[in-house]
Amino acid sequence: MKHVVVDPITRIEGHLRVEVTVDEGSGKVTDALSSGTAWRGLELVMKDRDPRDAWAYIQRICGVCTTAHALGAVRAVEDALGIRIPRNANYIRNIMAATLTVQDHIVHFYHLHALDWVSPVDALAADPVATANLQNNLLATYKLPFRAPNTYNSEAYEHDFPAATPQYFQQIKDKVKSIVDSGQLGIFAAQWWDHPDYKILPPEVHLLAVAHYLEMLDKQRELVTPHVIFGGKNPHPHYVVGGMPCSISMNDGNAPVNAARLAVVDRAINLGRTLVNNYYLPDLLAIGNIYVKAGRVDGGGLAKTRVMSFGCYPMESYTGTSSGGYFEGLLVRSNGVVENFGAGVANAKFSEIVAEDLTAPETITEGVEHAWYEYPDAQGKDLHPWEGVTKAKYTGPKEGTGTEWKTLDENGKYSWLKTPKWKGKVCEVGPLAKYIVIYTKAKQGLLGELTWAEQMMVDQIEAVSKVLGLAPEVWLPTMVGRTACRGLDCQVAAEINKFFFDKLIANLKAGDTQVANMEKWDPASWPKECKGVGLYEAPRGALSHWIHIKDGKTENYQCLVPTTWNSCPRDSKAGQGAYELAMMDTHVAIPDKPLEIAKVIRSFDPCMACATHMYNTKGERIAAITTDPYSGTKVEN
Amino acid sequence: MDKRESLWDLYLRKGMSRRSFLKACVALTTLMGLTTDQVSKVVEAAETKPLPVVVWIHGHECTGCDESFIRSAAPLASDVVLSHIDLEYDHLLSAACGEPFERHLDEIIQKYKGQYILAVEGAACTKDNGVYCMSGGHTFTHLLKKASANAAAVIAYGTCAAYGGIQAAKPNPTGSSGIGPFCGSTPVVNVPGCPPIPEVMTGVIMHVAMFGTVPPLDGEGRPKQFFGNRIHDTCYRRPFFDAAMFADSYDDAGAKAGWCLYKLGCRGPETYSSCGNIRWFEGLSYPIQSGAACIGCANATFWDDGSFSERLPQYGKLGNADKIGAVMGAAAVVGVAAHAAASVVQKSQREAAEAEKKESR
Repeated sequence: MKHVVVDPITRIEGHLRVEVTVDEGSGKVTDALSSGTAWRGLELVMKDRDPRDAWAYIQRICGVCTTAHALGAVRAVEDALGIRIPRNANYIRNIMAATLTVQDHIVHFYHLHALDWVSPVDALAADPVATANLQNNLLATYKLPFRAPNTYNSEAYEHDFPAATPQYFQQIKDKVKSIVDSGQLGIFAAQWWDHPDYKILPPEVHLLAVAHYLEMLDKQRELVTPHVIFGGKNPHPHYVVGGMPCSISMNDGNAPVNAARLAVVDRAINLGRTLVNNYYLPDLLAIGNIYVKAGRVDGGGLAKTRVMSFGCYPMESYTGTSSGGYFEGLLVRSNGVVENFGAGVANAKFSEIVAEDLTAPETITEGVEHAWYEYPDAQGKDLHPWEGVTKAKYTGPKEGTGTEWKTLDENGKYSWLKTPKWKGKVCEVGPLAKYIVIYTKAKQGLLGELTWAEQMMVDQIEAVSKVLGLAPEVWLPTMVGRTACRGLDCQVAAEINKFFFDKLIANLKAGDTQVANMEKWDPASWPKECKGVGLYEAPRGALSHWIHIKDGKTENYQCLVPTTWNSCPRDSKAGQGAYELAMMDTHVAIPDKPLEIAKVIRSFDPCMACATHMYNTKGERIAAITTDPYSGTKVEN
Repeated sequence: MDKRESLWDLYLRKGMSRRSFLKACVALTTLMGLTTDQVSKVVEAAETKPLPVVVWIHGHECTGCDESFIRSAAPLASDVVLSHIDLEYDHLLSAACGEPFERHLDEIIQKYKGQYILAVEGAACTKDNGVYCMSGGHTFTHLLKKASANAAAVIAYGTCAAYGGIQAAKPNPTGSSGIGPFCGSTPVVNVPGCPPIPEVMTGVIMHVAMFGTVPPLDGEGRPKQFFGNRIHDTCYRRPFFDAAMFADSYDDAGAKAGWCLYKLGCRGPETYSSCGNIRWFEGLSYPIQSGAACIGCANATFWDDGSFSERLPQYGKLGNADKIGAVMGAAAVVGVAAHAAASVVQKSQREAAEAEKKESR
């Protein structure tokens, strides 16, 4: 038995440590632990702030899923106050969300995950002529032909088709060779390039993928221009409670949004479709197919047992999440939990998530048994988010000192993440979860008539099953399946982006330019006390923000974020979370070089700053500021 | 660092022309905010200076600064990372992880002692000995002290590294602060912003790569060329402020016409940053241009300076905001008075537009 620590896990957002125990003979992982190693306390910062500003504060949880938390926040406040946003604002927010998903998935695959599969060193053995031929074959074989119903076709031809010439690949090879020859590998330094996993792919695939790694590093920035048009910048674009700040005028060149600005958005949306269809999906399916054919169907863990999703993309604006409005008109109705998918879609058990589940005290909760927190008034219990408490209780590691760790204490507290639960059980969330839920609902006849996006998701799964020659329950709940679903999700999001852009144009054409509903802007119009929840299907999965507003101020705020669901510490009743189970479901060839462990963890696209917990204290007096905006005086209590 | 290539060496090896090299130097001169008579110095630097080794570490942060950095268009982040600097350690982009990665960091620190640039993203967490931010089994402050002690200079990217950022907002549960106090005598360049503009980030590191020295700094340790102006003074909506033409509410007639957002809580009048001149994404937009009031994210204590949804306190003393234009107009020259007269015409147009809007409801 060998105990292996990987800390820091890189190419993720934030600070994460994992520890595994490996049987050196069989390569089997017998125990695994994942620990979020930082806590920033933003939940305490939210106390007593103006709820209209909540999005700006809580958005800074994460600069990667840079719009997810702002959207979760404005939705939570609007739910609490009963605000219905204008149509255009709903379309624009959906474009912001889909844009984030497209860009984030592409960056994850190429820049945060690819170097687990692809080696620049092995790329040097590739023949550029063979690589060019391979590129053309991939496009012919793996291009999934799915498209949304389009209203406007604004693209004369596809602008950024992959260059598939020997000269192009020779150039990339030379560039990589100069880096390797210099002995200064820069970002490629110190990796386990001699690991046998890199020999699974032929050199031509390595060269092709490295070429696309470099190209996408340049291209990804262009995908987020809709955030810059509608939100002023990226990362951290601006929002406003009640809609969007970007007023639209068709007769003023000085307007934040007009025809010229919309053309920039259109260009970015079409670029996203080109990149996912011509680069991302063919590359992904080629690599995935080779891995699956090599028998690599491990790393599924909790996905076989239980996955959860909240549903996404409201077709039209709605009133109320906790009262049900959100669930009534979703384009992707993935709200629910699927258990036992590993036994096949017919045997899987589906449970719907409805509005009552959000307000019920025991459906969605969090516990702190193995987290460095305590619930002073509710020891040993799990709390509903609206009742949440954050009180740090750091106990140090098992071996080492409080500020210099050797090993963490799996029997005690060992992470800055809490353990979120659905009906007392842990769940995996993310694109894989969303696909398993939609596929199960569709195949069990629970959706009635499918929306075009749901139909596309089912078609994608069946197309990939055909490519791999495996049933969905075999390939979906695996490391490869988790990575593949992110690519499929990217293709759907690129089409959804186009779909809502077309709806926006049609609505503007009909004469409606309103983007904000300011009727309840003034805090004097608010109830004395109210609570709200904002749901959002982030690139990493089900996200929920919970706010309690009292006397016009934020009384309590918290977020249950996707990475907390996936990377939570274990629980004596609910068992281990998705990261820990996935590591235990992964074969490790060389315990000293646990590339497979880093790879399966990165297949979740970890976002640790998001996961590190968001709760407000209850019953504990926090130094508060009240500010008179016109005199500038600050009073500290 | 003696065997590292210069930019010119790189061009030679790639078989690129002297002409294209010189063009690149002219572009870099402009990028760094230097006047054209400085081109020869840039060329000289590009011919002789070796590519600097960069180590990039993360404290209490959201990775928004890293993300912003890779959005840079001029220069492209990929060019910076692969050709202009030697990025040897970065949690976001580096391939390696765990023990070999930490060992590599120690080797780099020893090998390039006193020569490498340390880029820091995120705040230093100080409460309870820093246990709220651990990396590689050590506290972040331990890593920060180790990495900064041997660095040539430190670049504090973002408001978190410069001043503490969001986690340092009251009540600052983790005791977070800017990283300056942990860097000993090593010079620190503050590049605030939440996040900073991508080209500001790459521009600062390009200056170091080209000249082998940090750019000229102001009294707060910020590069002068990027933090010399208030957003308010470079704002394309400034004429509307001077003419007292304000949006009173999000999405009203003034908002649709691109008028000043001061009454909606805009922090442009108190914020020093390049949002108004460089803007985001090659001049495409910035929050004010997209209709959103500036939240002052490059300011040291902006999180605790009052609600973003309320008007700036210090201008409240001037009385009715509608009179600000008149006050300024009275002190101004004839040309401005003519402008104000034209503005009165615009103001009546606006009132007509507002009346029309009310009728249509």
